[in-house]
Amino acid sequence: MDNPAAKMMDALEYQPATGGYDEPFGDQGEIREHWQYLLNGLKTLGPAGIRERQKKAERILRDDGATYISGSPLKTQTWQLDPVPALLESEEWGSIESGLLERAELLNLVLKDLYGERELVRRGVLPPELLYSHGGFLRACQGISLPDDHQLILHAADMVRGQDGQMLVIGDRTQAPSGAGYALENRTVMSRVLPSLFRDSHVHRLSLFFQSLRHKLNDLANAITSEAPRIVILTPGALNETYFEHAYLANYLGYPLVQGSDLQVRNGCLWMKSLGGLERVDLVLRRVDDFYCDPVELKSDSQLGVPGLLEVVRSGKVIVVNPLGSGILENPALLRYLPQISQHFLGRELSLPTVKSYWCGDPQDLTYVLENLDKLVIKPTFRRPGSHSYFGSELNDDERQRLCQQLKKRPLHYVAQEYITPSSTPAWQEGQLVSRPALLRSFSVASHSSYSVMPGGLTRVGRNDQGLMLSNQTGAASKDTWILASEPEKQISLREAQPHPFQAGAEKRAAFPCRVVENLYWMGRYAERAESALRLLRTVFVQLNSTYAMPEQTRNLLLRSVTDLTTTYPGFVGGDSSLLAEPEPELMSVILDGQRAGSVTSNLNNLLKCTDQVREMLSADTQRVINDLRDQLEALEPALQHGLTSAPEEALDPLVTTLLALSGLWQESMVRGLGWRFMDLGRRVEKGLQAVRLLRSSLVQVLPEQEQMEVLEAVLLCSENLITFRRRYSEESEIEQGLELLLYDASNPRSVFYQIELIRKHLSELPVAAHGVGLADEDRFMLEASSSIQLSKLSELAAEYEDSQSRQALDQLLVRLRHLLQETSSQIGDKYFDHIKAHQQLVRTSWDDEL
Amino acid sequence: MIYQIRHVTHYEYEKPVTLGYNLAQLLPRDTHYQSCMRSDIKVTPRQTTGQRRTDYFGNETFYFTLEYPHKELIVDVSSDVRIHDSKTSRDMEMDLDLGITCGQASMILQQNREIEVLESREFVLDSPMIKVFPALREYARSSFNRDRPLLSAVRELTHRIYKDFKYDPESTNVATPLADVLENRSGVCQDFAHLAIGCLRSVGIPARYVSGYLETLPPPGQEKLVGSDASHAWFAVYSPGEGWFEFDPTNDNMPAEHHITTAWGRDYGDVSPLKGVFFDGGDSQKLKVSVDVSRVSANAEL
Repeated sequence: MDNPAAKMMDALEYQPATGGYDEPFGDQGEIREHWQYLLNGLKTLGPAGIRERQKKAERILRDDGATYISGSPLKTQTWQLDPVPALLESEEWGSIESGLLERAELLNLVLKDLYGERELVRRGVLPPELLYSHGGFLRACQGISLPDDHQLILHAADMVRGQDGQMLVIGDRTQAPSGAGYALENRTVMSRVLPSLFRDSHVHRLSLFFQSLRHKLNDLANAITSEAPRIVILTPGALNETYFEHAYLANYLGYPLVQGSDLQVRNGCLWMKSLGGLERVDLVLRRVDDFYCDPVELKSDSQLGVPGLLEVVRSGKVIVVNPLGSGILENPALLRYLPQISQHFLGRELSLPTVKSYWCGDPQDLTYVLENLDKLVIKPTFRRPGSHSYFGSELNDDERQRLCQQLKKRPLHYVAQEYITPSSTPAWQEGQLVSRPALLRSFSVASHSSYSVMPGGLTRVGRNDQGLMLSNQTGAASKDTWILASEPEKQISLREAQPHPFQAGAEKRAAFPCRVVENLYWMGRYAERAESALRLLRTVFVQLNSTYAMPEQTRNLLLRSVTDLTTTYPGFVGGDSSLLAEPEPELMSVILDGQRAGSVTSNLNNLLKCTDQVREMLSADTQRVINDLRDQLEALEPALQHGLTSAPEEALDPLVTTLLALSGLWQESMVRGLGWRFMDLGRRVEKGLQAVRLLRSSLVQVLPEQEQMEVLEAVLLCSENLITFRRRYSEESEIEQGLELLLYDASNPRSVFYQIELIRKHLSELPVAAHGVGLADEDRFMLEASSSIQLSKLSELAAEYEDSQSRQALDQLLVRLRHLLQETSSQIGDKYFDHIKAHQQLVRTSWDDEL
Repeated sequence: MIYQIRHVTHYEYEKPVTLGYNLAQLLPRDTHYQSCMRSDIKVTPRQTTGQRRTDYFGNETFYFTLEYPHKELIVDVSSDVRIHDSKTSRDMEMDLDLGITCGQASMILQQNREIEVLESREFVLDSPMIKVFPALREYARSSFNRDRPLLSAVRELTHRIYKDFKYDPESTNVATPLADVLENRSGVCQDFAHLAIGCLRSVGIPARYVSGYLETLPPPGQEKLVGSDASHAWFAVYSPGEGWFEFDPTNDNMPAEHHITTAWGRDYGDVSPLKGVFFDGGDSQKLKVSVDVSRVSANAEL
C-alpha cells in the first residue's frame, strides 16, 4: 500500500479480538451503542490527531510529575496513559456498583469478625489455618475497632470481564489501596486532551468520590476530637512505587504528607513534628502496609512506622485508615470461601461473582490444582517483595515441577484461580488502534450508611494481546474509565463543594512537618551552590579558551578558586602541578562526577532529592522546571564529551538558565509563608558563603596590576557584576571598588552584605524558639557579620600587609564571615530541624517477624 | 501453694535515652492451675504513660513509655501467685498411658469441629521462631507412632531432649536458629522448649510455648541465695478432647507445683519478657536480670 493517507486510515481499523469478548463490538461484529460516539470521534481526529493528543497527554503527565517507580534498580517512569478511554454504560455500571457495595459490606463484616469474635473460625466456616498461617493476620491488632459501623474504610477490587460478558472480581485490595489518585490524574489529563469528546460523552465525575472520602475521614476524626481535626497521609517515602500518588492526594485533599519519622507518640497521643512544635494528629490515612507501622508491636526492625502507634490506636486517641490489620482481607484464599462467608453473614451469595478459586491448604483443592495447572493462575496468599503469580499454561516442564513441589511443600501459602481471558478493548499503541486485554480496579469508601463507589476507576491494558500479566510493574498502560451517563451530570468540584475550615490559614499553623521545612532549606542551598559553581566554571572555561593567553599566575588562581568554591579538595590546591598544567580532566570531574561531594552533578542530584521530599508543595510550573533540570543534567555528559575543544561553557548555559528560572519562580510564585522563608534562608546562607569563598580565594592574594585586573574582572563576570562595575567605575578599576561592590553594597543582590541583611530579616520572622536573655545565637552571629562589614575600612581591606603578597585584613574578615555563616546555619538546623536518629530495639531480634 | 516472685530487669545505657516505648510480659496470667493474686510493676525512672491489658493469647501485658532522658531503666515486678492444689495432685498421679493415641489425636484434629479443637490448630502451624524442617521431623519420629498414647509419646520426647541435649548457656542466645540447636545438641530452656514444640508440630500436634519461673531449692543445709532463680520456659501440648498438658524438657518432668506460669504463645517471640524501641542511648547497653521465687505459704487458703 503506497498511499500514505490510506495507510493512516488503516491505523484506525480496529480488529476486534477473536474468540474472546470484545468491549466495543458484539459477536456479529456489530458495534455496541455506547462505543459509537467515541469511535466516531476518534475517526474524526484521525491518527495524526490522536498521536498529537497522546503527545500532549504525555507532556502534561510529565509536567505533573506523574511517575511510577518500578523494577530493580529502581526506575522512575512517567505514568502511562492510553488516550483511548475504557467505556462502561450507566446501566451495567449500576449493577456492578451495587455488587461492589455488597462486597465491601461483606468484607467489612469479615474484618470485624477476624479481629473480634472469630465466629468464622469457631463455627467452621473458615479453616483455622487459612487465617492463622497468613502473614496479614496481626495478632497485636485483636480487639481494635474504629468508632464507626465500618471498620473497612477503603476497598478496591480488581475486575475483569470474562468470555460470557460477566464482570468478575479477581482480587481485593484492603491494605492501602493505590490507584485512586492515578485515576483522578488520568481524568484530569483526558478532560484536557479530549475536551469535547469528554464533554459530550456525559461522563460521570470522579470528584464526588473524593468528597465522600474527605467527609468520611472528617467524620471519623471528629468522633475523637472536639477541635478541627488534623488528618495526615503517611507515606513510606519518595522511593515508594506510588509516591507520586501520595503527594498528589495530599495536595488534592489538602492534608500534610508525612513519613514515619515526622510523627511521634507522646503522652499517649500521636503528634506531627512541625516548626511550631508538636501538633496533635487525629487521623492517619496510611499508605504504609500495616505490618510496618509500629516497630514496638509489629515488625520490630521497621523504620517506616511510628513507635507506639498501635497503643495510641488501641486507646482510641488516633484513627488509622484502613485500620491496622486490614491486610488480612487481601488473602486470596478468602475468595475460595466467599460463598460460605456470604451465606453466613448475609444469608445469600454475592451478586457480583468472584473468580473460581482453590486453596491448596484444602487437600481436595490441592489435588485439583496439581492436575489442572494449565487452566489456573497460582498466587501466593501473602504478597511480599519478590513474590509473584504463576500462569500454569506458561510454565515449562521444569518450572511446573518446581511449582508443584512448592505447592505440596507449603500448601497453606498458595491459592489457584481459574484463568479468565480478559475482554479486549481498543488501545492506542505504537501508532495504531489495537485490541488489548483490560483489567479494571474500582475504589469504594465507606459513607454514612454504606459505601460510595468511584464512578469509574483505573483500567489497565496489556502491552500485547496475550495479556496474562497485568500490572504496572510489567509495563501495562492505564486508561481513564468513563461511565457514560444518559444525561449530563451537575458539575461539582471538590473545592467549591466544601470549603475546609481547618485548612484555611494552614500555612500559618505550619501545617507541614519539619522534614519538609528542612528539605526546602536545603533545596535553596543546593540550588545556589550548583549555580555559583556553574557560573565560575563557565567563566573559567571562557578564559581558558580565549585567544589571549592568560598569564600563568592568573590562570592558576582561577583554577584554584574552582576547588575552593566547590570544596572539591585537594583538586587544584593540592599542590599537584600536573593538574594545573592539564586542568581539563579535573574540571570535567568537578562537573560530572556525581560521586564527588561538591561537584555540580552531586549538588544537582541533591537538589532533586530535596524536591522529591517536598513534591506536594511544588507548583506545576516548578515541577516543569525541575523536569527540565533533570533532562539537562542527563544531557550534560554527552554535551561535554568533546571537552575544552568546543566551547564547553555553552553546555553549562542551559543549566544556569534553568536554575535562574527556578529561583525566579520561588521568588515570584511562592506564598511568603514559613516554607518560602526557609527556602530563601537556605539560598541566602549559601550565596553568602559562596561569595565569601570566591572573594577569599581570588582577591586575598596580591597580584601585579594587570593580573589583578583580570582576576577581578573574572570574579565580577561570574557574579554578573561586570557591567555595573564598568558603568559605575568607568575611569579605572581598582580592587577597592570591586570590594565595595561585592562585599559592601547593600543594593547589590549579589553582595555579601545584602545576603546577611536578608538572613537577619528572615531570622526575625521565624517562630521564636525559647532562649535565654538577649539575642539568640544565630541573631548574634548575623549581627556581628553585618557590623564587621560595616566597621571595616575599604582601604585597609584592599591594602597589602607588609610585603606579604596578601591582604591580611581582608582575609581575616572573610574567614570570620565564613565562620559566622556556617554557625548560623548549624544553629538553624539545631533549632528547627529534627535530628532524631533511627530508633534501636531494646532486644535485637534477628528472627523473621513474618511467616 | 503461694509464691512470691520478684523479677527485676535493669538496663544501663551508654548515653541517655531520650524516648523509650516498651512492652513487658512479666505479669503472671491466670490459668486453670494458678491464680495471680497480686502483681505490681514499678518502672524507674517513672513511666510517662503506662497501660495494662490482656493480649491476644490472654497474657497480661504492660505497655509503658519514658519520654524524658534517662540513662537507666529498671523494671521491677513483684507478684503473688497461688498454685491450685489440683495441679499438684493431678499431674503427679496421671497415668500417661491412658489417653488417646497419636493416631486418634490426628484424626480428631482434622475432623472435629469443636471450638477448642479448631482453635488449637493455630499451634500446629509454623511461627516466626519455629519453622518445621525435615531434620526436626526426623528427630521426632521415633517417639510417635499411631497406636501409642499421645501423652506418653510426648513424655518420651521430653525425656529424649533432656538426655540428648546439653544445657549450656554459652552455646546459644535468643536468636539462635532451631536448626543450630538441633545440630549442636545444646542450648537452654528456651531452645529445648522450641525444639519440642517444633517436633510436635512436625507430626501435626498443637504445641505452645510457656514462659514462667521455677522454684529452685538450695542444696540441703544451705541458705537460698537472693536473685539466684531465673525465668524459665517449657511447653504445653494439646491432646484433643483432653486439654493442654505441660512438659519441661530442661528438667525432664511435667510442671507441677514448682512451675509458675507467666505467659504463653506460639514461641518466645510472642511472650518475650521486655521488648521495645528507644531513641539515642549510644551504641551499647548493659542488662542485668535478677529473679527470686519464694514460698509465702504452703497453705493455699489465705
